Amino acid sequence: MQKQSTGYLFILPALMVLGMLIAYPVAYTGLLSVTDNAGNFVGLENFRRVLAARATPIAFWNTLWWVLGSIIFQVLFGVMAAILLNQNFRGRAIVRSVTLVPWVVPGIVAATTWAWMLHTEFGIINYMLTAPGLIDKPIGWLTNGNTVMPVMIAINIWKMFPFVAIMVLAGLQSIPNDLYEAARIDGASFWEEVWYVMLPQVRSVIVAITLLLVIWALNHITIIYAITRGGPANKTLITPIQIFRTAFDGMQFGQAAALSVMFFGVAIVIVFIYIRTLASNPEEAR
Amino acid sequence: MKTMTIKLAMAATASFLAMSASAWAGQVVWWTPNFNEARARQLVETFQAANPGVTVKLETTTTDGLPQRILTALQSGAAPDVIDVQHAWVNGYAQNKLVVPLDEAVTEREDYIPAALQYNTWNGKLWGAPYRIETHAIIINRGDFKAVGLDPDKPPQTWEAFADAAKKLTVNGKSGFAITGGGEVGNTIFRSLPFMWMLGGGIISDDGKKVLVDSPESEKAVTFYTDFFKNHLSPSSTLENDGTANRRLFIAEKVSMYQSGQFDIQSIRKENPKIDIGVIPVPHPEGAKTAVILGGWSLVVPSSAKNPDEAKKLVAFLSKSENQAILTDTFPARISAMNAERFNDPILKVFKDMLPFGRPVPAHPNWVQISQAYFDGIQRILLGDESVKDAMDGAASEIEGLL
Amino acid sequence: MSGKTSKLTRPGLPGWLILVGSALLVLVCLFPFWWMVVSSVKTLRELYTVPPIWWPDTPTFQNYSNVLFQSNIPRYFLNSVIVSAGSTGLALILAIFASYGFARFKFKGKPLLQSMVLVAQLLPTAAIIVPLFITLRFLGLVNTYWGLILVYMIITLPLSVWMLTSYFKNIPVELEEAAIIDGASRLECLFRITLPLSLPGIASVMVYAFVTTWNEFIFALCFATDSSVKTLPIGLAEFSTEFNTDWGAVMAASVVMTLPIAILFLSMQRLFVGGLTAGATKG
Repeated sequence: MQKQSTGYLFILPALMVLGMLIAYPVAYTGLLSVTDNAGNFVGLENFRRVLAARATPIAFWNTLWWVLGSIIFQVLFGVMAAILLNQNFRGRAIVRSVTLVPWVVPGIVAATTWAWMLHTEFGIINYMLTAPGLIDKPIGWLTNGNTVMPVMIAINIWKMFPFVAIMVLAGLQSIPNDLYEAARIDGASFWEEVWYVMLPQVRSVIVAITLLLVIWALNHITIIYAITRGGPANKTLITPIQIFRTAFDGMQFGQAAALSVMFFGVAIVIVFIYIRTLASNPEEAR
Repeated sequence: MKTMTIKLAMAATASFLAMSASAWAGQVVWWTPNFNEARARQLVETFQAANPGVTVKLETTTTDGLPQRILTALQSGAAPDVIDVQHAWVNGYAQNKLVVPLDEAVTEREDYIPAALQYNTWNGKLWGAPYRIETHAIIINRGDFKAVGLDPDKPPQTWEAFADAAKKLTVNGKSGFAITGGGEVGNTIFRSLPFMWMLGGGIISDDGKKVLVDSPESEKAVTFYTDFFKNHLSPSSTLENDGTANRRLFIAEKVSMYQSGQFDIQSIRKENPKIDIGVIPVPHPEGAKTAVILGGWSLVVPSSAKNPDEAKKLVAFLSKSENQAILTDTFPARISAMNAERFNDPILKVFKDMLPFGRPVPAHPNWVQISQAYFDGIQRILLGDESVKDAMDGAASEIEGLL
Repeated sequence: MSGKTSKLTRPGLPGWLILVGSALLVLVCLFPFWWMVVSSVKTLRELYTVPPIWWPDTPTFQNYSNVLFQSNIPRYFLNSVIVSAGSTGLALILAIFASYGFARFKFKGKPLLQSMVLVAQLLPTAAIIVPLFITLRFLGLVNTYWGLILVYMIITLPLSVWMLTSYFKNIPVELEEAAIIDGASRLECLFRITLPLSLPGIASVMVYAFVTTWNEFIFALCFATDSSVKTLPIGLAEFSTEFNTDWGAVMAASVVMTLPIAILFLSMQRLFVGGLTAGATKG
């Protein structure tokens, strides 16, 4: 095929910028994870302490739920919205723009607005449910151990599915028309068209987005941090929040770094497996 | 290239400005919270007039993310010269050698409320200059008291009487006494730890060597606190409420009593002038004294400050009695500064009376994790997941590992 | 346009489903935003009532006048525009080349390098703030536009590269092969063939990068301490004091902050449609 070196030339500038920005933080975090606050080498003491903390396993499972729950529905609703927005109908431009709104609203504002809407006493949502008698008494959406995590996930889905929708929509828009025409000549129904033309054509986009969403969900703390700070009683504590709290509330930079290193390691393994199995199969590496 | 030029131009302008103010002046960069800005600016002008050699550059900080931002600057060695911080953070900075001692800048120590100095002391040295202090009291809706036949001028003083009053006030969809169970950890520490102190309990001992959270005294206090929610005297949203949420509920006339500081009075008056506000002392157990946590703000000088000497000069200036009286948003840390006119509002009287009962939270390197472990326990109780005993035993074993 | 040239009608969703779907979409997406707008014209007293008020009797525009005339928001708006446009532009340029390299070339270590690009996104924010600050200080870029623009590469570049790579891959490689036989260079292929066909992808990457940097809070908070470079999210935080938040102003500022982006996207519509016609000419 092509000379290898040309490929490197194309990616070099981006790699250099990223390398410059992350090389030092990675090294710094690595070093910090084996030293105490005074800078003395302490071996694996930080790791031991972090792993012994009661919150660590809780945070691990919460993170798993948070990521899985968020991703599945973000992709599902995002693709559905994209297919809808790819239809021809009057007012489509408006609906497309409106769909973008949740994603455009600043995360901190979205979080506080939702927190306020979901408040047991002041919240408009409980009011809408109690006023017509749908429920007898207000639900503590953010205070009930069983509802708080699903609610967080739902807010995250609300916030991010527009992103999926736009990206998939862009993908749908770049499907060559002859593919549709071929399907039409074969007399395909709409759903057949979705299944045999649209989805396969945007597959690589969906694969890429899903990975990004995973990474994002893994590292996105604004919504939970702004609403519950991981509470009540660690019911919504996810690992990145634990890292944040350990570093900036607890000033235990060494332990936070140790947790970061472990988190980073697990995340890399997940990403690597994902890329190996899905993103770089031979059909796509053409 | 263009940025280079711009940067050069900016550097040139900056140095020109500095030079025009005074030749080779040491510049002191002072980070102060946005709510202090106007008063700080006023003091800076006085300071600069008295010290022609020094210029002060005021940069305002925001409450959201303040600890993160300060720690980032301190850790990376590129800090300003003076920072406004909360008392409770100073010890952590001192232990990590992020700030310098201020012993020579803070004089006339006998004029200070002792607890304020205690907060800023570590290893025999003073690492922060306290300038502002405050405590909680109970804010009440006097109208609600009268409506249920209670006399707001003879408020309940003991725990029992207080719980009874809360029960009487819980009528017509109103909650008698709102506790906190959400938001930042500090909210609930400030409101529940003093109850433990009143009985001689606590989360950990003052010397930081013993866990007290599972002692019978502490558990009794926790029971007293959490029962307000269990007995439905505190709103059903308690687990998501912090101090601010409680104030909003009070303003919306859904809550008749809650604990807070004097800073709430102004918002209540502004947002709901109909409420007849009263302030009463925090109730104490039969035969014991009341207690509160003393909170507030101090000034620190980071180890990486560029002009530590000028910075200390500024700190010394701000620590003067008359200047503390200007800078503080609540009460000054110096007793003599309390005579200023602005602290004479009668509604402040009870808050002032509570000050002598104010105590600092224990100084321990892991205090934040310790208080988090305790707070998680409180939330488990409020959620109904665990009994007081189980929750506090769990917290105790977690805290044990942190001492 | 393409519909007219085609003789066969294209199957679509049934009309009622489009109607129901759109209505649901608009409701779900807009309700919290609408609540935000309602809150921004309420007085403080009206904000916190039980039960909540649907629409205030006399809407107040005091919050907007506070935000626009009595706060630093206009200045921060300008800063945000500069920082977001700068980082979007830089990310786009770097990403176009990198993505082309990943999509069209086979070379040793490609999967590894591809995942390396993503590594930047995996680093927990709490862990990298301090060392990043040190890096910026070393470069002399604390409290500058360039500092923020550069730091935002960590957030925007990896995603941009990934998204563009998958769009480039979807463009049939045969088109370029034909051009190369005609003597075009690789760069010409990229700019004459691949880029014009990827306009929808580029548009969405741009929107992505712009929106993300527009809303970013924690880096801006830590790396921009001077009001000459502070961005809008910091402006929002400045409406909060120790024990109080001016929610009316926050909501008004959020509306001020959100609308430009929504309008930006509306204007981007043309680019998306442009991609559609480009696809048509190709067939």
